Amino acid sequence: MSEVYKRELVFLVAGLVAAVMIVTYFLDIPVLNGLAQQLQVWALIIQLMAIGLGAINLVRVNYRHMQQKTEGLWIFSAWFMVLFAIMLLLGLVGLSTGSENAIYSWVFANVYTSLSSTLYAITGFYIFSAAYRAFRARNIDAAILLIGGVFVILANAPVGAVIWKGFPIIGGWFNISGQVPAMRTFTITGALGLLAYGFRTLLGKESGFYGEAGQ
Amino acid sequence: MSSGNIWDKLQAIDRRVFYWILFIALMIPYLRPIGFPIEINAPAKGIYDELSTVQPGEVCVLSINSGVSAWGDCLPAMVACIRMLAQQDARILVWGMGHTDIDITWQEIMDRSPELKDKVYGEDYAFFGYLPTQETTIALLAEDIRAVFSLDRYSTPIDDLPIMEDVNGADDVRLLLSSDTGDVQGYYIRQWHTKHGTPIGSIGIAMNASGDLPFFLSGDLFGLSGGSRGGAELEQLAGVPGEAITTMDAISVSHLLVVFAIILANVGYFATRGKR
Repeated sequence: MSEVYKRELVFLVAGLVAAVMIVTYFLDIPVLNGLAQQLQVWALIIQLMAIGLGAINLVRVNYRHMQQKTEGLWIFSAWFMVLFAIMLLLGLVGLSTGSENAIYSWVFANVYTSLSSTLYAITGFYIFSAAYRAFRARNIDAAILLIGGVFVILANAPVGAVIWKGFPIIGGWFNISGQVPAMRTFTITGALGLLAYGFRTLLGKESGFYGEAGQ
Repeated sequence: MSSGNIWDKLQAIDRRVFYWILFIALMIPYLRPIGFPIEINAPAKGIYDELSTVQPGEVCVLSINSGVSAWGDCLPAMVACIRMLAQQDARILVWGMGHTDIDITWQEIMDRSPELKDKVYGEDYAFFGYLPTQETTIALLAEDIRAVFSLDRYSTPIDDLPIMEDVNGADDVRLLLSSDTGDVQGYYIRQWHTKHGTPIGSIGIAMNASGDLPFFLSGDLFGLSGGSRGGAELEQLAGVPGEAITTMDAISVSHLLVVFAIILANVGYFATRGKR
């Protein structure tokens, strides 16, 4: 099959699938509903297979770093491979015995949970330090951002209302009248962009989704 | 900078000083709680009001789309909601996507919800575990839950669970709560609320609250709990005080310190502006 036919076939399949999904979203046509549901099941299966492929790819990439002794990376790749092997083994042992491996659960609950929570909590320290270094009223725009930010911060913290009853009111005004219209604009323009992308895909003008981006 | 005057020094404080100040200041409210009053806002009230109308036997879904790193923001609100729903004898279905650690999160919710201890698994609540997918699957869940889950998390066939009797899709669900660090809640709004009319409530991290607010104001979300503040408001409304209310003192201290840092930096900046 020539490259042109392969390309056309991909666009035809993508276009047909998109048409079925769009029509069934807005109209109740029993025949098409069944087809749309079947397509969604296929999508679910493909997505699940992609996770397996992702794991294989992760091992390949890290194995390559180890093999080539990539500077600054191979040691982390080796550490990844050790942990990957341990977790895989523990998971498979649990699978074979029909119940979850206790060590697997322990590692997940006591190592992963602690590390994950710590990483997220550390951002608080960075925000504190960044507020000091970055929040300076260098011009009128920065001053507006700064004042608005302070009111929103004090509206969100219960102590704000204790200091002055006006903080939650003014902070709420910044939140509702200030940021909501901007956020609506982003959402609506994003949705319009997505619509345009959808139509381009349907018409075969968008090739990035099957690997032709930049060609 | 050590040779500069006090205003120069004010602009160049080592970041490690801030880290220590924050670390020490955050310990104080945990050692000696202050108890600042917490005002209730409309978004969290929206969740409480909608949950209050749930009748015994009605099916409610909690979709845990947040990981353990977001426990500080999302867990207290999820616990308060589950406790409320259990008190009202709702049937609760739990699943999640985007985070592989939802087993731990659900276990934590159960541990903190004494009301669930009197409930029977499979009859009053069921857990389906992690679903590693995106919007397509949420659309499929809305049409046919059995097309996505044939078993629960403990390998029990879905039709062997009494709770699933007459529950096939979004049309059979009274309301759905989505706990998010990302954009899964948007999928539910499009595929469950817009298409089937299922009421959706959001339990998100504080960072998401500004993005979620337009959907609350437009009525696409019946309520919104943003960060630990939302959790504290829900705990207060539901009468189940917990971790979020305790955290609010620390939030107050840390937010005050951020404002203090901003003032400090700007005082130094304006005092030395003429020199630049």
